[in-house]
Amino acid sequence: MFHWLEKNPFFFAVGVFLTIAFAGAVTILPHFNKSAQPVKGLKPYSVLELAGRHVYIKDNCLSCHSQLIRPFKAETDRYGQYSLSGEYAYDRPFLWGSRRIGPDLHRVGNYRTPDWHANHMWEPTSVVPGSVMPAYKHQFTNIADTETAYAEAVTVKTAFGVPYGDDIQPGRAAYEKVLKSKVLPEALKIATQMKNKDLIARVKAGKIPEVVALTAYLERLK
Amino acid sequence: MSMDQLSIYLYVIGSGITVVVFYSYIVYLYRSEKRGEKDYEKYGRIAIDDEIDSTPVETVSDPANKNKE
Amino acid sequence: MQSNAAMEYDYSIVKLYMWTTVIFGIVGMLVGVIIASQLAWPQLNYWLGEYGTFSRLRPIHTNVVVYGFMISGIFVGFYYSAQRVLKVSIGESKFLMTLGYLQFFLYLIAASGLVISEGMGITTSKEYAQMEWPLDILIVVIWVLWGMIMFGLIGMRREKALYISMWYYVATFLGVAMLYLFNNMEIPTQLLSGGLGAWYHSVSMYAGTNDAMVQWWWGHNAVAFVFTVPIIALIYYYLPKESGQAVYSYKLSLLSFWGLMFIYLWAGGHHLLWSTVPDWVQTMGSIFSVVLILPSWGSAINMLLTMKGEWNQLTDNPLIKFMVLASTFYMLSTLEGPIQAVKSVNAIAHFTDWIPGHVHDGVLGWVAFMVFATLMHSAPRVFKREIYSKSLLEAQFWIQTVAVVLYFTSMWIAGITQGMMWRAVDEYGNLMYSFIDTVNVLHPYWVIRAVGGTLYFIGLLMFAWNFFMTATAGRKLETEPQFRSPMA
Ligand code: HEC
Repeated sequence: MFHWLEKNPFFFAVGVFLTIAFAGAVTILPHFNKSAQPVKGLKPYSVLELAGRHVYIKDNCLSCHSQLIRPFKAETDRYGQYSLSGEYAYDRPFLWGSRRIGPDLHRVGNYRTPDWHANHMWEPTSVVPGSVMPAYKHQFTNIADTETAYAEAVTVKTAFGVPYGDDIQPGRAAYEKVLKSKVLPEALKIATQMKNKDLIARVKAGKIPEVVALTAYLERLK
Repeated sequence: MSMDQLSIYLYVIGSGITVVVFYSYIVYLYRSEKRGEKDYEKYGRIAIDDEIDSTPVETVSDPANKNKE
Repeated sequence: MQSNAAMEYDYSIVKLYMWTTVIFGIVGMLVGVIIASQLAWPQLNYWLGEYGTFSRLRPIHTNVVVYGFMISGIFVGFYYSAQRVLKVSIGESKFLMTLGYLQFFLYLIAASGLVISEGMGITTSKEYAQMEWPLDILIVVIWVLWGMIMFGLIGMRREKALYISMWYYVATFLGVAMLYLFNNMEIPTQLLSGGLGAWYHSVSMYAGTNDAMVQWWWGHNAVAFVFTVPIIALIYYYLPKESGQAVYSYKLSLLSFWGLMFIYLWAGGHHLLWSTVPDWVQTMGSIFSVVLILPSWGSAINMLLTMKGEWNQLTDNPLIKFMVLASTFYMLSTLEGPIQAVKSVNAIAHFTDWIPGHVHDGVLGWVAFMVFATLMHSAPRVFKREIYSKSLLEAQFWIQTVAVVLYFTSMWIAGITQGMMWRAVDEYGNLMYSFIDTVNVLHPYWVIRAVGGTLYFIGLLMFAWNFFMTATAGRKLETEPQFRSPMA
């Protein structure tokens, strides 16, 4: 039997493959259903929040921030209730991060406000002296891509049954409608709370700056 | 049986089998060498005598090796 | 089998990959030095607008060093040593040659595409799998081509027994193929939305905790199958060949191989300790991480014992120095990893600088040193020239060794300091430090790390110069050296 493995490249390859695959099959597959169940009352991300999430990914905030509060007293004291599996049920991809150069953000919506974010994203050291976080001034001029966010909402609704309302439908007409009736008003609310005239004017003109979408997302993290 | 239990059983049985196979492989290696059926250490030479015209440790087309298969 | 005298191993593809190794090495490590300095001096974030921030550059650093420098180096080793241990020239088959060139050019496209898209912020955000779906498809094609070449060569071989390095190459191929496919299951969002939004955007098939499990199954095994398995393949060929000593125990190498294959995959759970994945996955991750020391040390000790009775070579051959130190760093980081995987240690270490510290004693000390040795051992055979400068190689060795030590010691201290400060409480049980306090104490360590990185980068530049001069101006060799690489 072992003779085969050593001499025949094909059987050898199969042997290696089975050995590698076995561990994955047993550790990962059985838990797929269970950990995918959302906690009670969890709402899917709104289109604006999704767009903000894309900004978070695009500027790769996860290289410095985690979104995973571990069950230790020191962490719950600092950040709040520890994270539950079901809270991530609509996170595609997950954004736990792997390094905390900055603090955890999983519940940042509980203790920061939109206008705090507006100042902080513009110039972190003006709010927290000594911060090593870069200023993200370009987010105040770049426009958030709500269309891609909408496309993603449609996709996860269709493919994975994420419970979005009936207004989330394929096609440009449906998108324009949601943009006008939901996304822009939501953005205006955030921009108003951010107390930045420039941002308000832009949203009123139908263009949502990245930082507004991002703040909507950060506000949602609770 | 729940998925959890299933995977624990699978895990225990699977690692059991692997451990047995692994140890019998060790035994096989040393035994076959002791009996003189095999010489594993000669394969180490493949790396140091590797000119394209040097004689292979075991030639593919060598009938003596074919028979062993 | 024709045996005309002119038959030779064909190194044309090896040469191409050698140049990409050097170039990607310089780019990737330069970006690494920049981001290390940005943490020490944040004002360095603003030299290139939105494209120059730490967060945009970090994935460029990781991806270019891993998929540019390391993978190129591995392909150098593969295209060079696979021919030799199978005793067949890739030039004997026009078909495989064509596939080889195709693979290289697709690889160049994919690697450049990766850099550009990361810079623009087009990313799936999963570490070591940031490529969006068009690049993913390209990478699958490249990988399949590699597999075809590997099994094509195996099919044509004259040496019946597969040398242990080939085992590791085959495992690399299979392991990465399987894990990569699973982890990158994604749906392009234009498909189901009626063509809305960016064409390159996609959404993961898995959500939340599942996504995390699959991702770290991949992330962990990217470490296994890119940083470990193929590098072991390299050292099993290059160390014996350079020293003229056969592997100390071939049987031990076989055993370590199967041990590594089986155990490595179980250990993936250790990236998710204290997270929301099921407890027993975490516990197993810890246990198997500790067991993993055995096969890892099996390989490393086998390598060190190969030098038995020949330790004098260590003093007068810098290539042996690189390889022996690489094995030693391999032992260090395979001991350090399991320590971090113990749950109570992990509670402190996770999310701190100790983790990048651990990664870097592995990659700088083990992987990169092995890649340097691979290129330098192959160069005299490939270019038929003597290595340009021995003293430059010696100097590079010492500078980089000091650099690695500076790097990981500063990161150890930084990591443990920060981990302890995060959890420190006063006598009433209140947290003692605000978050920014725990950032500001790290400044000196970040400066030391940046210095270490810069030193390492200087060593790399010396290497690049040495390599370039070897390829173009080294003294011509009449015959191929058998063991020790000749150097001036
Ligand atoms: C170089 C690492 C780094 C990057 C990249 C980074 N941050 Fe930070 N962040 C920090 C640090 C350090 C702090 C703590 C000091 C401070 O508040 O500025 C922080 C604090 C924060 C806070 C305040 C949290 C709190 O609890 O007070 C928020 C919100 C935040 N960052 C959001 C972001 C977002 C959004 C991005 C991406 C656009 C980002 N950060 C990118 C390092 C970083």
